[in-house]
Amino acid sequence: MVYACVLGLIALALMSWSLFDQGWIPIMMAMSVGQGIGTLSFALFLVIVIIDLRQAEFRPSLPPKSKTPEDD
Amino acid sequence: MHVSPLSWIALTCAIVAAGIMLYYLVKRPPLDAAGKSVMMLGVGVLPIMVAMIGNMEGLAATEHQSFCGSCHTMDMWIEDANDPESESLAAIHSRSHKFGDKSCYVCHKDYGMFGYAMTKIGGMNHVYEFLSEWMWYDRDEVIEKIHIVRPFKNENCMQCHSMTGKIWNEAADHRGLLEDLRTGKTSCASAGCHGYAHPFSKPDEETPSHAETHSALQAPAAEGR
Repeated sequence: MVYACVLGLIALALMSWSLFDQGWIPIMMAMSVGQGIGTLSFALFLVIVIIDLRQAEFRPSLPPKSKTPEDD
Repeated sequence: MHVSPLSWIALTCAIVAAGIMLYYLVKRPPLDAAGKSVMMLGVGVLPIMVAMIGNMEGLAATEHQSFCGSCHTMDMWIEDANDPESESLAAIHSRSHKFGDKSCYVCHKDYGMFGYAMTKIGGMNHVYEFLSEWMWYDRDEVIEKIHIVRPFKNENCMQCHSMTGKIWNEAADHRGLLEDLRTGKTSCASAGCHGYAHPFSKPDEETPSHAETHSALQAPAAEGR
Protein backbone atom coordinates (compact mmCIF):
# COMPACT_ATOMS: atom_id res chain seq x y z
CA MET A 1 0.00 0.00 0.00
CA VAL A 2 2.92 2.32 0.69
CA TYR A 3 4.10 1.92 -2.92
CA ALA A 4 0.56 2.55 -4.19
CA CYS A 5 0.39 5.78 -2.18
CA VAL A 6 3.82 7.01 -3.23
CA LEU A 7 3.12 6.28 -6.90
CA GLY A 8 -0.30 7.89 -6.56
CA LEU A 9 1.23 11.07 -5.18
CA ILE A 10 3.73 11.25 -8.04
CA ALA A 11 0.93 10.71 -10.56
CA LEU A 12 -1.22 13.40 -8.95
CA ALA A 13 1.66 15.86 -9.01
CA LEU A 14 2.25 15.26 -12.73
CA MET A 15 -1.44 15.47 -13.61
CA SER A 16 -1.98 18.61 -11.54
CA TRP A 17 1.05 20.31 -13.11
CA SER A 18 -0.58 20.08 -16.55
CA LEU A 19 -3.69 21.91 -15.32
CA PHE A 20 -1.71 25.09 -14.71
CA ASP A 21 1.13 24.92 -17.23
CA GLN A 22 -0.25 23.99 -20.62
CA GLY A 23 2.95 23.65 -22.57
CA TRP A 24 3.71 20.46 -24.43
CA ILE A 25 5.97 18.98 -21.73
CA PRO A 26 3.48 19.10 -18.81
CA ILE A 27 0.59 17.93 -20.98
CA MET A 28 2.53 15.06 -22.52
CA MET A 29 3.92 14.08 -19.12
CA ALA A 30 0.48 14.13 -17.51
CA MET A 31 -1.24 12.18 -20.25
CA SER A 32 1.46 9.51 -20.56
CA VAL A 33 3.79 9.15 -17.58
CA GLY A 34 1.36 10.61 -15.01
CA GLN A 35 -1.55 8.45 -16.04
CA GLY A 36 0.68 5.40 -16.40
CA ILE A 37 2.01 5.79 -12.86
CA GLY A 38 -1.52 6.47 -11.59
CA THR A 39 -2.81 3.31 -13.23
CA LEU A 40 0.03 1.31 -11.67
CA SER A 41 -0.77 2.80 -8.27
CA PHE A 42 -4.45 1.88 -8.57
CA ALA A 43 -3.56 -1.61 -9.83
CA LEU A 44 -1.33 -2.16 -6.79
CA PHE A 45 -4.18 -1.09 -4.52
CA LEU A 46 -6.58 -3.48 -6.25
CA VAL A 47 -4.10 -6.33 -5.93
CA ILE A 48 -3.89 -5.69 -2.19
CA VAL A 49 -7.69 -5.63 -1.88
CA ILE A 50 -8.07 -8.83 -3.92
CA ILE A 51 -5.41 -10.65 -1.87
CA ASP A 52 -7.17 -9.55 1.32
CA LEU A 53 -10.53 -10.73 0.03
CA ARG A 54 -9.14 -14.11 -1.01
CA GLN A 55 -7.58 -14.59 2.40
CA ALA A 56 -10.82 -13.54 4.08
CA GLU A 57 -12.67 -16.38 2.30
CA PHE A 58 -10.76 -18.90 4.38
CA ARG A 59 -11.29 -17.17 7.66
CA PRO A 60 -14.16 -18.76 9.57
CA SER A 61 -16.63 -16.03 10.31
CA LEU A 62 -18.97 -18.37 12.18
CA PRO A 63 -18.08 -21.18 14.53
CA PRO A 64 -18.31 -24.61 12.88
CA LYS A 65 -21.68 -26.18 13.07
CA SER A 66 -21.74 -28.79 15.78
CA LYS A 67 -22.68 -32.21 14.54
CA THR A 68 -26.10 -33.48 15.47
CA PRO A 69 -27.07 -37.10 15.64
CA GLU A 70 -29.36 -36.61 12.60
CA ASP A 71 -26.34 -35.65 10.49
CA ASP A 72 -25.01 -39.10 10.96
CA MET B 1 -2.62 32.13 -17.18
CA HIS B 2 -6.28 31.20 -17.42
CA VAL B 3 -7.40 28.32 -15.22
CA SER B 4 -10.84 26.91 -15.99
CA PRO B 5 -13.41 25.96 -13.31
CA LEU B 6 -12.93 22.30 -14.29
CA SER B 7 -9.24 22.59 -13.50
CA TRP B 8 -10.07 23.92 -10.04
CA ILE B 9 -12.37 20.93 -9.49
CA ALA B 10 -9.56 18.62 -10.57
CA LEU B 11 -7.13 20.39 -8.26
CA THR B 12 -9.54 20.01 -5.34
CA CYS B 13 -9.85 16.28 -6.08
CA ALA B 14 -6.06 16.02 -6.28
CA ILE B 15 -5.60 17.77 -2.93
CA VAL B 16 -8.16 15.53 -1.20
CA ALA B 17 -6.63 12.39 -2.75
CA ALA B 18 -3.13 13.50 -1.77
CA GLY B 19 -4.37 14.20 1.77
CA ILE B 20 -5.79 10.68 2.07
CA MET B 21 -2.59 9.08 0.79
CA LEU B 22 -0.35 11.23 2.99
CA TYR B 23 -2.52 10.40 6.02
CA TYR B 24 -2.06 6.71 5.27
CA LEU B 25 1.70 7.09 4.83
CA VAL B 26 2.11 9.01 8.08
CA LYS B 27 -0.43 7.37 10.38
CA ARG B 28 -0.70 3.87 8.86
CA PRO B 29 -4.30 3.23 9.93
CA PRO B 30 -5.59 -0.39 9.80
CA LEU B 31 -6.85 -1.42 6.36
CA ASP B 32 -10.23 -2.72 7.41
CA ALA B 33 -13.33 -2.33 5.26
CA ALA B 34 -13.73 1.36 6.11
CA GLY B 35 -10.03 2.01 5.59
CA LYS B 36 -10.10 0.31 2.20
CA SER B 37 -13.15 2.35 1.18
CA VAL B 38 -11.36 5.59 2.02
CA MET B 39 -8.23 4.42 0.21
CA MET B 40 -10.38 3.47 -2.79
CA LEU B 41 -11.43 7.09 -2.88
CA GLY B 42 -7.88 8.39 -2.44
CA VAL B 43 -6.04 6.01 -4.79
CA GLY B 44 -8.83 5.25 -7.27
CA VAL B 45 -11.88 7.47 -7.64
CA LEU B 46 -10.38 10.92 -7.09
CA PRO B 47 -7.19 10.39 -9.16
CA ILE B 48 -9.34 8.98 -11.99
CA MET B 49 -11.40 12.18 -11.89
CA VAL B 50 -8.20 14.24 -12.00
CA ALA B 51 -7.03 12.18 -14.98
CA MET B 52 -10.34 12.58 -16.82
CA ILE B 53 -10.48 16.34 -16.31
CA GLY B 54 -6.76 16.53 -17.14
CA ASN B 55 -7.45 14.75 -20.44
CA MET B 56 -10.28 17.11 -21.32
CA GLU B 57 -8.31 20.20 -20.42
CA GLY B 58 -5.10 18.88 -21.95
CA LEU B 59 -6.70 18.01 -25.27
CA ALA B 60 -8.44 21.39 -25.34
CA ALA B 61 -5.12 23.10 -24.62
CA THR B 62 -3.50 21.41 -27.62
CA GLU B 63 -5.76 23.51 -29.87
CA HIS B 64 -4.30 26.81 -28.70
CA GLN B 65 -1.46 28.78 -30.23
CA SER B 66 0.32 28.79 -26.89
CA PHE B 67 0.64 25.00 -27.11
CA CYS B 68 2.00 25.08 -30.67
CA GLY B 69 4.33 27.90 -29.62
CA SER B 70 5.65 26.00 -26.62
CA CYS B 71 8.25 24.45 -28.94
CA HIS B 72 10.83 27.12 -29.80
CA THR B 73 10.87 25.94 -33.41
CA MET B 74 7.43 27.52 -33.86
CA ASP B 75 8.33 30.91 -32.35
CA MET B 76 8.64 32.71 -35.68
CA TRP B 77 5.39 31.29 -37.01
CA ILE B 78 3.51 32.40 -33.91
CA GLU B 79 5.15 35.83 -34.01
CA ASP B 80 4.10 36.28 -37.64
CA ALA B 81 0.56 35.05 -37.00
CA ASN B 82 0.16 37.55 -34.16
CA ASP B 83 1.87 40.45 -35.90
CA PRO B 84 -0.80 43.12 -36.51
CA GLU B 85 1.26 44.53 -39.40
CA SER B 86 1.74 41.21 -41.18
CA GLU B 87 -0.25 40.52 -44.34
CA SER B 88 0.55 36.81 -44.52
CA LEU B 89 -2.42 34.44 -44.85
CA ALA B 90 -1.64 33.11 -41.39
CA ALA B 91 -1.74 36.59 -39.83
CA ILE B 92 -4.88 37.65 -41.70
CA HIS B 93 -6.70 34.52 -40.57
CA SER B 94 -5.42 34.80 -37.01
CA ARG B 95 -6.94 38.28 -36.79
CA SER B 96 -10.37 36.78 -37.48
CA HIS B 97 -12.30 35.91 -34.35
CA LYS B 98 -13.24 32.58 -35.92
CA PHE B 99 -9.57 31.55 -35.77
CA GLY B 100 -8.02 33.78 -33.14
CA ASP B 101 -6.01 31.90 -30.57
CA LYS B 102 -6.73 28.61 -32.34
CA SER B 103 -5.57 29.66 -35.79
CA CYS B 104 -2.78 27.02 -36.06
CA TYR B 105 -5.19 24.24 -35.17
CA VAL B 106 -8.14 25.39 -37.28
CA CYS B 107 -6.01 25.62 -40.44
CA HIS B 108 -3.76 22.60 -39.93
CA LYS B 109 -6.06 20.04 -38.36
CA ASP B 110 -7.47 17.16 -40.35
CA TYR B 111 -11.18 17.24 -40.94
CA GLY B 112 -13.64 14.38 -41.37
CA MET B 113 -14.74 11.53 -39.14
CA PHE B 114 -11.28 10.58 -37.90
CA GLY B 115 -9.85 14.07 -38.27
CA TYR B 116 -9.38 14.68 -34.57
CA ALA B 117 -7.62 11.36 -33.97
CA MET B 118 -5.45 11.75 -37.08
CA THR B 119 -4.48 15.25 -36.00
CA LYS B 120 -3.40 13.97 -32.61
CA ILE B 121 -1.41 11.13 -34.19
CA GLY B 122 0.25 13.69 -36.45
CA GLY B 123 0.99 15.75 -33.34
CA MET B 124 2.76 12.79 -31.76
CA ASN B 125 4.93 12.62 -34.87
CA HIS B 126 5.80 16.29 -34.35
CA VAL B 127 6.78 15.52 -30.75
CA TYR B 128 9.03 12.70 -31.96
CA GLU B 129 10.62 14.92 -34.60
CA PHE B 130 11.16 17.70 -32.07
CA LEU B 131 12.73 15.45 -29.45
CA SER B 132 14.88 13.52 -31.88
CA GLU B 133 16.20 16.41 -33.96
CA TRP B 134 14.63 19.83 -33.97
CA MET B 135 15.06 20.77 -30.33
CA TRP B 136 18.79 21.21 -30.95
CA TYR B 137 18.36 23.74 -33.75
CA ASP B 138 18.39 27.49 -33.24
CA ARG B 139 16.08 29.88 -35.11
CA ASP B 140 18.36 30.27 -38.14
CA GLU B 141 18.72 26.53 -38.59
CA VAL B 142 14.99 26.02 -38.11
CA ILE B 143 14.02 28.48 -40.82
CA GLU B 144 16.53 26.89 -43.18
CA LYS B 145 15.47 23.30 -42.68
CA ILE B 146 11.84 23.20 -41.60
CA HIS B 147 9.15 22.05 -44.00
CA ILE B 148 5.54 20.98 -43.76
CA VAL B 149 5.18 17.21 -43.50
CA ARG B 150 2.84 17.05 -46.51
CA PRO B 151 1.45 19.75 -48.81
CA PHE B 152 -1.24 21.88 -47.25
CA LYS B 153 -4.65 20.60 -48.36
CA ASN B 154 -7.15 22.88 -50.08
CA GLU B 155 -9.81 20.89 -48.20
CA ASN B 156 -8.81 22.79 -45.09
CA CYS B 157 -9.42 26.14 -46.82
CA MET B 158 -12.70 24.75 -48.13
CA GLN B 159 -14.05 24.23 -44.61
CA CYS B 160 -14.77 27.98 -44.67
CA HIS B 161 -14.33 28.99 -48.33
CA SER B 162 -16.71 26.49 -49.85
CA MET B 163 -15.90 27.42 -53.47
CA THR B 164 -19.59 27.67 -54.22
CA GLY B 165 -20.18 31.31 -53.21
CA LYS B 166 -21.25 33.83 -55.85
CA ILE B 167 -18.46 36.31 -55.17
CA TRP B 168 -15.86 33.53 -55.06
CA ASN B 169 -16.99 32.29 -58.46
CA GLU B 170 -16.89 35.77 -59.93
CA ALA B 171 -13.09 35.65 -59.84
CA ALA B 172 -11.99 34.37 -63.26
CA ASP B 173 -9.00 32.50 -61.79
CA HIS B 174 -11.28 30.65 -59.42
CA ARG B 175 -13.64 29.62 -62.20
CA GLY B 176 -10.83 28.53 -64.47
CA LEU B 177 -9.11 26.46 -61.82
CA LEU B 178 -12.18 25.15 -60.05
CA GLU B 179 -11.50 21.47 -60.71
CA ASP B 180 -7.81 21.77 -59.89
CA LEU B 181 -8.62 23.61 -56.67
CA ARG B 182 -11.19 21.05 -55.58
CA THR B 183 -8.88 18.13 -56.30
CA GLY B 184 -5.92 19.89 -54.72
CA LYS B 185 -3.87 19.97 -57.93
CA THR B 186 -3.41 23.71 -57.50
CA SER B 187 -2.87 24.98 -53.99
CA CYS B 188 -4.79 28.01 -52.75
CA ALA B 189 -1.74 28.93 -50.69
CA SER B 190 0.76 28.92 -53.52
CA ALA B 191 2.90 31.64 -55.01
CA GLY B 192 0.71 32.29 -58.03
CA CYS B 193 -2.54 32.47 -56.04
CA HIS B 194 -2.93 33.77 -52.50
CA GLY B 195 0.71 33.32 -51.59
CA TYR B 196 2.25 31.14 -48.96
CA ALA B 197 0.56 31.13 -45.59
CA HIS B 198 3.92 31.77 -43.92
CA PRO B 199 5.90 33.63 -46.62
CA PHE B 200 8.76 34.63 -44.29
CA SER B 201 9.72 30.96 -44.09
CA LYS B 202 10.30 30.79 -47.84
CA PRO B 203 12.78 33.61 -48.52
CA ASP B 204 14.34 32.08 -51.61
CA GLU B 205 11.16 31.04 -53.31
CA GLU B 206 8.90 33.08 -55.48
CA THR B 207 6.31 34.94 -53.48
CA PRO B 208 3.66 37.29 -54.81
CA SER B 209 4.18 40.96 -54.25
CA HIS B 210 2.35 42.76 -51.50
CA ALA B 211 -0.09 44.25 -54.01
CA GLU B 212 -0.82 40.87 -55.60
CA THR B 213 -1.48 39.24 -52.28
CA HIS B 214 -3.62 42.12 -51.15
CA SER B 215 -5.74 42.16 -54.29
CA ALA B 216 -6.08 38.38 -54.31
CA LEU B 217 -7.38 38.50 -50.77
CA GLN B 218 -10.14 40.96 -51.58
CA ALA B 219 -12.41 38.25 -52.96
CA PRO B 220 -12.52 36.06 -49.81
CA ALA B 221 -12.75 39.15 -47.63
CA ALA B 222 -15.73 40.40 -49.61
CA GLU B 223 -17.28 36.95 -49.52
CA GLY B 224 -17.09 37.07 -45.74
CA ARG B 225 -19.12 40.22 -45.74
